[in-house]
Amino acid sequence: MLSRARIPYGTWGSSYFPAWQTSALAEVNIGQFAGESMARILSLRGVKKTELDYMVIGSTIPWHWKFWTAPLVSSCMGHRIPGYHVEQACATGLQAVLLGAAEVDNGGSDVVGVVTFDRTSDSPVGVFPERRAHERTQAIADVWDNFGFDPATGNAMITAAGITARKYKTDRREVDDVAYHRYQQYFEAKDSGFLDRVMVPLEVLNVAGRPLGRVDDDYGVREITLDGLRAMRELDTCVTGGTQTHASDGMSGLLVATEERARELSPKPEIDIQFVAKTEMRTHPSLMPEAPAFAVQKLLDRTGLTMADMAVVKNHNPFAVNDVIFAELLDYDWRDMNNTGCPLVWGHPQGPTLTRVIIEALEEAVDLGGGHVLVFGCAAGDVGIASIFKVN
Amino acid sequence: MTQTMRQPTLDTLGLGAVLDIFKAGRLPANPAGLVDEVFGSGEKRGSLVISGASGIVGAGKTMQLGSRLHPYGVPVVALDLPGAPDGLGAQYPGLVQAFGKEGADAVMASIIRMSYDGKSLPDELKELRPSFLLEAIPEILDIKKAHYKVFRDSFPDIAIRSVTSGFPSSELGVGIAHPAFPHEINKMWEVVEPEPSAVTQLLWALGLIPVPVSDHWSFVLDVLFCGVTLAGLRYHEASNMPFWKIDKLVRKLVGPNPFRAHDVIGAQGANFLTWSCLHHLSGTYGDVFKPAEELVVRKETGQTWYPPNHFRPLVDWKLSDGEDEVFRTWILGPLFQMASLLVHEGRGHFANLNAIGELCAQFRKGILAMARESGADSVIETVGAYHSLHPTAAENGWHPEAFQDMDSHEWQQLYVNAEHDGEVGVITLSRESYCGEVDAELNRAMDWLKGVGIDRVILTGDFHLSTQMIGADISEFFPAVEEEEEGFRISSGWSRTARRLDEDFQISVGVVNGKRCLGGMLELLMHCHYLVAVDGAQLGMPEITLPVIPGMEGCHWPFRKADREDWGKVLTLLLGGRPVKASEATGWLIDYAGTLEETLGMAWILATGGDGSLPRRSVEGAGLEGVPTDVPGLPEADGVMGRAARTAMVDCIQGACGAGLSEALELQARHSGAFMTSTACKKGEIGAQYTRTMAV
Repeated sequence: MLSRARIPYGTWGSSYFPAWQTSALAEVNIGQFAGESMARILSLRGVKKTELDYMVIGSTIPWHWKFWTAPLVSSCMGHRIPGYHVEQACATGLQAVLLGAAEVDNGGSDVVGVVTFDRTSDSPVGVFPERRAHERTQAIADVWDNFGFDPATGNAMITAAGITARKYKTDRREVDDVAYHRYQQYFEAKDSGFLDRVMVPLEVLNVAGRPLGRVDDDYGVREITLDGLRAMRELDTCVTGGTQTHASDGMSGLLVATEERARELSPKPEIDIQFVAKTEMRTHPSLMPEAPAFAVQKLLDRTGLTMADMAVVKNHNPFAVNDVIFAELLDYDWRDMNNTGCPLVWGHPQGPTLTRVIIEALEEAVDLGGGHVLVFGCAAGDVGIASIFKVN
Repeated sequence: MTQTMRQPTLDTLGLGAVLDIFKAGRLPANPAGLVDEVFGSGEKRGSLVISGASGIVGAGKTMQLGSRLHPYGVPVVALDLPGAPDGLGAQYPGLVQAFGKEGADAVMASIIRMSYDGKSLPDELKELRPSFLLEAIPEILDIKKAHYKVFRDSFPDIAIRSVTSGFPSSELGVGIAHPAFPHEINKMWEVVEPEPSAVTQLLWALGLIPVPVSDHWSFVLDVLFCGVTLAGLRYHEASNMPFWKIDKLVRKLVGPNPFRAHDVIGAQGANFLTWSCLHHLSGTYGDVFKPAEELVVRKETGQTWYPPNHFRPLVDWKLSDGEDEVFRTWILGPLFQMASLLVHEGRGHFANLNAIGELCAQFRKGILAMARESGADSVIETVGAYHSLHPTAAENGWHPEAFQDMDSHEWQQLYVNAEHDGEVGVITLSRESYCGEVDAELNRAMDWLKGVGIDRVILTGDFHLSTQMIGADISEFFPAVEEEEEGFRISSGWSRTARRLDEDFQISVGVVNGKRCLGGMLELLMHCHYLVAVDGAQLGMPEITLPVIPGMEGCHWPFRKADREDWGKVLTLLLGGRPVKASEATGWLIDYAGTLEETLGMAWILATGGDGSLPRRSVEGAGLEGVPTDVPGLPEADGVMGRAARTAMVDCIQGACGAGLSEALELQARHSGAFMTSTACKKGEIGAQYTRTMAV
């Protein structure tokens, strides 16, 4: 067992993830939005914000006043507590939850709020002194320039997906099938009302205090057809506009607490959610989509568990290629994972992505009566991260 | 022998009944005499000393009293510590706005600033013969007591009043004159003294509103204002809702925005005062007043309740029906419990208690009016629900029996009273704006007079709580913005009440005794057979400026009473929206204007049968022909909305005037109700206030 900490069931929540530039979230200080939203989410879950004694925040895109990190976000939540900021590209959401557990494990805190967020819309531009560049100074648009250029390899993310697809001789048709299936899974979950239990519609105000917009859907996500996917032009091998994720904005949060406090905070104290194990792997340059599979394999080896032991499998999959390669390497049917949707469909705001994945996975596991929950994904730098939770 | 429906609030000041004012033809006290009584006359004239004069309260009261005492040659000494920031200078622009530069300079010239070390008084003070000390120093008991001793040692006969918001008179050893924010303009003072004193009567004679309250920890305003703040804090603790949103919802439910008020007053001082008040109250009355942890922290830090500008709120909170019910319980539960305490302890005259909430704490309706509207059973149920959320609050300070006598006149007549001497009745209005509660109370007052056979009546202000009549309470129209029938209901109902003044009495006399009578109040009073006013009073129909269509027959009744050649003046009044002085309105809008004494005298002559000098203007019952649709020289209406309002007003005037008297009431009410749902109204003041207050 990795941790003695628990995730109190039913105290979590996430904003929807509207695609970049499609909602009022493109206009806000996302750290402030996350803090204020967390207060609202906790209120809806019946948790007083004063129950929290620590906060771990996760984000990857610089936001105004980020220097003040968790103390500022907690102030925006309305409860001044200490905390810090964690960042590991798309692994941020999972790392933040695990570090929240570490805070509980080390005895320093009883109830940790994990608040993750990012705004890809209008991301800031950093201006860096760079003596080795002929310009002497370089300006970097935080989101798009980073997607397009891994400084360690010189390649773009999408290039890594193409290289990996070629390595595994991935079939474009299967990639399209995966993407089509993922969209079906998402819309089925949406139609069933599943998302209503974990997502929280939020009203955003302008500076005058008047409505700026309601964030009540994963805007930009449209029904897709298999024929439409097949007809799409490849941007790199097996990667099309329909088989890769898109940038989006949002926040997602949950609590990590001691076993006793988790029981007190949860509306269903009989549900016990444990941390089982976590690991990370880094693969060769520009082979990022295979890294999660290696991380999962390592995790299974170390825990003695098998994929057959997993009640719920859910991942961060910026490319459908990821899922095809994972299924091949783990000998697992990709149809059995990501039952309620995944980042390939609902987007990629980075910081909160894996937090929402965790929340949806845990909620699904409770629906199924419990069991092991495998959450994994890739991250910048050809890294794979994986973690197992257990819902009793 | 004067009979009263309930005790006149004026009588709580030792100033008798309103009927006696008309009988005597003069006010029961005059400022010059009271100034002499308090400050001495001639060469013995002493001074007013305000200590802590640079603070928020001290500076405001230095301006308010200084400007009023200046005509009587009373020097005002503004005393404070040498390092105190200049609070007086900051008041000067407001003074200029009120009195003009010359007047403001004269007032400021009568204020003598002095510094002292807090322990001994300046020698120069003796020359100014301090007669009255208004103490406005920090809320620390020992310091206050030492301060009084210093003054009494030097000036044994000095009258002392403390502005304290918390300490009882029995603790301080001096009387209380506790004012309300904003101190330079708010007229109300809660006073604690064994019997109404010359000081209190002087405040009244100077045009202020002293109200006697009992000698308990913290005064009524503080119980209500600190109470509603605490209720908001408790809901915050329970729900995580940010303060700014609680403010909006409290404003919608009750009226004030307590957290914004703290920030506006100055969070550093206001947080401490609220904590201090609640701290002392909880020591006596238990957990219903126990300061919330958030307040305990902020009284130390002075942190504002609203976020800084760069963090203006981003995420809105909408309450579901279930959440709204919980919110109401958290807010109204403790307020009703606190109201039970005020009643149980006999803190004051019910009308005074009720008015304090409205005039000082921004309550749309006073706390007793709110309780009355809910009904005793509902109030007790709400407090019970609150106690289930906050069990320790039930342990002390809850007196449900306080609500058992709601059928009494004391409960039923919070805004309107009636008096009579067996021949003539007086109906007094204690609220500046007309609302449904006033309407119901006015009907009960008329019923009461009719019940004892009174058919001569004077309708007027109460010479105390209501110093002017400003028209209809706009918040009454909020339901009508969305529903035309609601506007019709209000308009026709109020008009039927007004018509009783014409139809139910042999003689009715409306008296404008304050500085203005506008809108709905003027419509009400013009239904009296005679309307008299003090000559400086402003009379007007500003509805067009909101815009709204007058609902109480203002579009036809004055035409029916005016000569044909004066119809243009009436039309100008309605379409222009600018008030006229009473002296300019005689003969076509009112029947008489004079000095206050003359007006009182004339009202009494008219009410007792008249001397024939003032003919009664009759109301034309048939439809009027030739009522103009325009008047020369009227400025162009502003924009599309202004033109729409003017057109609607003209349509209403033409329709109502053209109809017979019996049909005109409903016709005008239909016009008024319909207009309130129009775009012009929604984009105007009523719509804006409705949106700001209710659509949150």
